[in-house]
Amino acid sequence: MTETLLRAIGVELAFGATPALRGADVEVARGEMLAVMGPSGSGKSTLLHCLAGILVPDAGEIRLGDDRIDVLPEAARSALRRDRFGFVFQFGQLVPELTAEENVALPLLLGGTRRPAATARAREWFARLGLDGLEGRRSGELSGGQAQRVALARALVVEPDVLFADEPTGALDSLTGEHVMELLTATAREQGTTVVLVTHEPRVAAYADREVVVRDGRVTSLVPAP
Amino acid sequence: MIRLGLRLTFRGGREAVARLVITALATALGVGMLLSTVAGMHAVRAQDDRYAWLETGAGFVHPRPVPAGTTPLLWSLSPDEFRGRIIARVDLAALGDRSPVPPGLTRLPAAGEYYASPALVTLLKKAPHDQLAARFPGRLAGTIGAAALAAPDSLVAVVGRTPQELHAYPRAQAVRYISTTSPAECRSGCYAIGIDRNGVQLVLGVVAAALLFPLLIFVGVASRLSAARREQRFAAMRLVGATPRQIAVVSTVESTVASALGVVAGCALFAAVRPLLARVPFTGARFFRSDLAVPAAAWPLIVLGVPVAAALAARLGMRRVSISPLGVSRRTTPPPPRAWRLLPLLAGLGELTFFVFAGRPRTTEGQLAAYLGGVLVTMAGLVVAGPWITLLASRLLARGTGRPAVLLAGRRLADDPRAGYRAVSGLVLALFAASISIGIMATMHGKRIVPTYGHDPAETMVLRLNTQEFPGSFTEPPGGRPPAVPASLVAQLTAVPGVRGLTLVRRDVTEVGRFADPFLGLVRCADLPHTPALGRCPAGAVTARIVVADTSEGRSGKAVVPVASPDLASLPVIAVVLDGTRGGLERARTVLERAFPHFVPFSIAEEQANRPSNQLLEQFQRLADVVVFASLVVAGCSLAVTVAGGLAERKRPFSLLRLAGAPLGVLRRVVLLESGLPLLALAVVSAGVGFLAAGLFTRSQLQQTLVPPGAGYYLGVVCGLVLALALIASTLPLLARLTGPETARNG
Repeated sequence: MTETLLRAIGVELAFGATPALRGADVEVARGEMLAVMGPSGSGKSTLLHCLAGILVPDAGEIRLGDDRIDVLPEAARSALRRDRFGFVFQFGQLVPELTAEENVALPLLLGGTRRPAATARAREWFARLGLDGLEGRRSGELSGGQAQRVALARALVVEPDVLFADEPTGALDSLTGEHVMELLTATAREQGTTVVLVTHEPRVAAYADREVVVRDGRVTSLVPAP
Repeated sequence: MIRLGLRLTFRGGREAVARLVITALATALGVGMLLSTVAGMHAVRAQDDRYAWLETGAGFVHPRPVPAGTTPLLWSLSPDEFRGRIIARVDLAALGDRSPVPPGLTRLPAAGEYYASPALVTLLKKAPHDQLAARFPGRLAGTIGAAALAAPDSLVAVVGRTPQELHAYPRAQAVRYISTTSPAECRSGCYAIGIDRNGVQLVLGVVAAALLFPLLIFVGVASRLSAARREQRFAAMRLVGATPRQIAVVSTVESTVASALGVVAGCALFAAVRPLLARVPFTGARFFRSDLAVPAAAWPLIVLGVPVAAALAARLGMRRVSISPLGVSRRTTPPPPRAWRLLPLLAGLGELTFFVFAGRPRTTEGQLAAYLGGVLVTMAGLVVAGPWITLLASRLLARGTGRPAVLLAGRRLADDPRAGYRAVSGLVLALFAASISIGIMATMHGKRIVPTYGHDPAETMVLRLNTQEFPGSFTEPPGGRPPAVPASLVAQLTAVPGVRGLTLVRRDVTEVGRFADPFLGLVRCADLPHTPALGRCPAGAVTARIVVADTSEGRSGKAVVPVASPDLASLPVIAVVLDGTRGGLERARTVLERAFPHFVPFSIAEEQANRPSNQLLEQFQRLADVVVFASLVVAGCSLAVTVAGGLAERKRPFSLLRLAGAPLGVLRRVVLLESGLPLLALAVVSAGVGFLAAGLFTRSQLQQTLVPPGAGYYLGVVCGLVLALALIASTLPLLARLTGPETARNG
């Protein structure tokens, strides 16, 4: 039997008077790659933010293994994001003042790894993701595809249990997007990392093992990937 | 984390460096001002302390232990003047060889010698001998050291006399020690010399408080620079697991580094402006540079206190940013400001109105607390009400407009009126400070009646012989009656080159039994044309009663009243009044001082200038000018930084608008309107509130209706506003550079 790593149970969340999630349930197995699909405003990104401990649901539970993470204090959820989760978003997740190499090393530095060791581990990822020569550049000096690969390197450098990707190819052309997705899936599978992928593109969702659809704040259907 | 914070501070790109520099600059200005204020207070104390020796012989100085065998010293202090400048003159004679020596001297001058301060020595060399040097008998034995001088340009003379000569001086007394009691420490019975140390220090404190508002706004503006970018950075760090505490550490490091650099720059700024500050005579006299010193105990407070305060402020300020790793994407529009924001403003004005009806508090401390409190609450009220007024103005602007620039600017201001107000808040407060101080000063100047009778007050000199005028007191002349004025002296005075006329004023005996008023006297009407400052007799009058150089403002300008003619020649002369050129009058003063060494001749101009209320008014005026000027400079810096920072923050939306076809001209008008509209709207409000507060103050404190300021004020306000708009316009070239198509792509 496949072990469930991450689970949302009856999650509800509203922004002011606007409900975003209305009892969403979803499970993600260890090593699985799950695509969360749905139209704009359906609540798919909000579901990802809840699963990642970025947002705290108004009701329901989020469990990582057997532990509830929605009841953890902010500092503990920060530590969780730092040590066990990785993130790749559409854009804007790199610290603009830091170089690409420093950005990749940042989660390690935040976790207390000494700078030389953190930099050495970051460099390994530059080689693995074909980013050699870009170490000293800042985010403004990178192309969209390069920035997403740097973000991917940063997400994977801590060897996370779960990689959360929210529209990771949304700002890229199709060819670059495909390249980023291939890298993401390949490295995740290689490391056995669980992936939660939010997208509205069927082409991107096709990389996943399984798809769920979020509609009006509920996970309305479970569709096995073709 | 500290290392990462340092890395982000120094190598975080151009925006981070700009933010660092501007925050450090704002802090430097604050620290410079703080150091200047502390040094100013120290200088006032040091200056006041060096007046102490001039209180020697005064009634209530603290006694000092006298060494055994000390012989007394005959001592007489008298004020002298030369062309409006006061000369402190001490005539002394040792009664033995172990008499005390005043500070600044190595020995006592022997009879026939005198010591002079360096400034007096210079003046003695420059001025014609018969106008000044002839007043000091004997030879110049040396210069008086700084220990005895309140200011580098103090005019002081210590004249050696024989005991016999000094025994004839009515004020001469034998002293055994030199006073070390400063005028401020001397509660009563002392000579009214020196400065009102407590008053000046209090006013300096008020000035510092008034300057603190625009400086805090500037520091706030600087620390908000590139706030969106910082939020983005911190959100990105939070996303990958930085805890709120770690973010706070980074932010605190940034603020502490900026403020530490600011402290260093502020110290350098203070060192640079110290010589200039020493030249500002805000007590009426310049300062020795060494007086403008910061006490050792204050240094750690400033050097450590400012960065610690900045670190605490950063810590508090980071609460909002550290909430979410999603950063700006989840930011909601803050609720619009509401009308309750007018309440503090109304409370401040209400307090000032209360004293109009209830009457002013009786004590000076009470008045200070009442009015200062009211003005500060009103000022804070302007700060609180500003966003609401901005919102009101922006809604009016955007309502029904068809122009895209007006619509964009109006809607943006309505969306975040606090940001719109923040940019101009410094200027608004500076305008309030200028309006209230100019309103009060204009009224006080208007109240002052200058009895010149259309004549230059510097060209009339008076020697009063019925009283011994001494700073702070009038006393009977020696023997209780005025000395005789010999005809030979009158002839000598009228022969002095530059003296145009002379009038002898005699004791008023026309109303027997009336209160002996030392300012009233009788004159021959035929003499009055020689001294036009005394007025004119009505046609046909032979004798008249006049007011001679009235020091009481209420009686100034009293008419010349004809009286029945007594035998004037038999009445004692109570005053000699001379008319002439300034040089001529100085020569005459020299003659008069030699003839009547116990009396002090003065010109009407000197009498007016040296009146304590007028001196205080001049000091207030100077300090008010400093406040207004410094506030305007700081506020201008805030405005420029805010507008330029705002452009950099919004380069993406602006560049998207350009991509969508908005001409650059429209965007320029948006930027101008966004700052110009709140500036103009609030300029009207703050000037109005300033004058209202000034009017309420003058009504209750001075019982005067507000005198409207002259054209200079309006011209100044218009120039200030034009300058502010020019400052905004100077940032517009940035717009073209920041909103290029590549910004939309990369932002």
